[in-house]
Amino acid sequence: MKNPFKVHNLRKSYGKVDALKGITLSMNEGEVLGLLGPNGAGKTTLISILTTVEKPTSGEASLFGHNVLENSHELKSWIGIVPQELLNHGFFSILEVLEFHSGYYGLSKNKDHILFLLDRLGLLPHKDKKVRELSGGMKRRFLIAKALVHKPKLLLLDEPTAGVDIELRTTLWKFVEELNKNGMSILLTTHYLEEAENLCDRVAIIHNGELKKLGPTRELIQDMTHRNVDISFSEKPQNLNNHKYLISEVENTMTFQIPSKMQLGQLVSELKFDLSKVTDIKIREGRLEDAFMTLLGGK
Amino acid sequence: MVERELKWTPFLSLLRREIIRFMKVFGQTVATPLINATLYLLIFGVSLGKNIQLDMGVSYLSFLIPGLITMTVLNNSFQNSSSSILSSKFHGDIHDLKVVPLTTNQIIWAFSIASLLRGVFVGVVTFAVSEVFFIATQDLFLSVVHPFWFLLFLTLGGLSFGFIGISVGFWARSFDQLSAIGGFILLPLIYLGGVFYSISDLHPFWQIISKMNPLLYFVNGVRYSLLGQSDISFSHALWVSLLGTFILYFFAYRSILKGSFQKW
Repeated sequence: MKNPFKVHNLRKSYGKVDALKGITLSMNEGEVLGLLGPNGAGKTTLISILTTVEKPTSGEASLFGHNVLENSHELKSWIGIVPQELLNHGFFSILEVLEFHSGYYGLSKNKDHILFLLDRLGLLPHKDKKVRELSGGMKRRFLIAKALVHKPKLLLLDEPTAGVDIELRTTLWKFVEELNKNGMSILLTTHYLEEAENLCDRVAIIHNGELKKLGPTRELIQDMTHRNVDISFSEKPQNLNNHKYLISEVENTMTFQIPSKMQLGQLVSELKFDLSKVTDIKIREGRLEDAFMTLLGGK
Repeated sequence: MVERELKWTPFLSLLRREIIRFMKVFGQTVATPLINATLYLLIFGVSLGKNIQLDMGVSYLSFLIPGLITMTVLNNSFQNSSSSILSSKFHGDIHDLKVVPLTTNQIIWAFSIASLLRGVFVGVVTFAVSEVFFIATQDLFLSVVHPFWFLLFLTLGGLSFGFIGISVGFWARSFDQLSAIGGFILLPLIYLGGVFYSISDLHPFWQIISKMNPLLYFVNGVRYSLLGQSDISFSHALWVSLLGTFILYFFAYRSILKGSFQKW
């Protein structure tokens, strides 16, 4: 099985600025990989190299086993890109734009697929409108249709839900999941960590051009976060006041912070309190956001 | 497995887009040059031209017509590719050309052929209007002496100015830069390229200077093809026009490799 993309010791410098400092990373076929990092981390540079728009300073980058520097013309047909920024297309209707775009990828008889995408993304009634006549959410969906018009094997989503309302965001997530179920590999960059947590099988966190962490999303959260357990008592036990896991207490509720991998039963048996005096227990799991903050030292 | 045809389909799609683009602004594409040509013919060709005698033994109106057609073709070809690229930069969709599997040559030829088609289309309209003026004033039909060379020179001129438009479009960082190049460089070259006057009427020094203007050769190539005579010998006009087209193609190629695809 060929990796949709693979980079090895990839470096990219713009003058004296090193945007990527030797990143080694590969994507598994059929997965949703989250590429996370603060602004200026190097995410867009990595995407630009994968889309053959930029050339690496050194190191290797390949798409489906083919070096991006060789035969880049054909490799471009295998990837679809949803850019961060909303675009206009002047005089053309969205149907015309999609037909031209399809043609650029060598597909001249593709109208059925174009109409299917427009329908699936709720844009069919607007097919004769110009891009500037669409709402912000429609423009986002149009960009997704444009990226999918040539049936790519790898979809690059560069902050696809930036500035999108919650309802549309949820719709787009479902659509991404559907694409993934149909076998498409998806690279997602986003600042909404909830989005990455919900959608991504694995996440790669990069910062200052370096890969800081790579792994399955669940494992990463477990490794790098804690669970907060709020236990409310009818009568607060006195023997727990100095317990190592206790982080706060408000009235009769005591909050314990335990490693994510630790089970609740283990905590209960360790605390040795009278269960009949417990009125409520709430567990707050660690989030990807917590792991992200821990990794980047609160940045 | 998706069946793709990457040799011609991407090129034809971009060409189609460019043709549809200028057809959507048909009024701007045809009406404006039509009014311009009518005014030039009325003022220079009919009104002032009555008093102008030329050494080559043709009326001033017949001398003006090939110059006017060339000027129209060159102007429209330049405007087509440059404004298309600059408006794409303004809208932001210029970046699409970087990420889709279009080769540099496919981009150049799609833009330049669309420019040529617009230029020649407007040139033909200008010729038709000129013909009306010619018949009305001279009671004669102006026929093309060398149709093949006429088409060839118009094609070379249209492609060359399409190439210039591509180069300027990709290098320019603002509409001001486009206006500056159009207004301060191209327009003077066109007007001083023998559209309205014969360089044989100039002082020998200015004749030498004029001969450094490559546009003179396009204009005189078309004039020779249409009238059978011109200021510049046919072979000179042909070789300089061919060489100019080749050099300008090189500039267009470089501009796509090195120019900007950034949204404004």
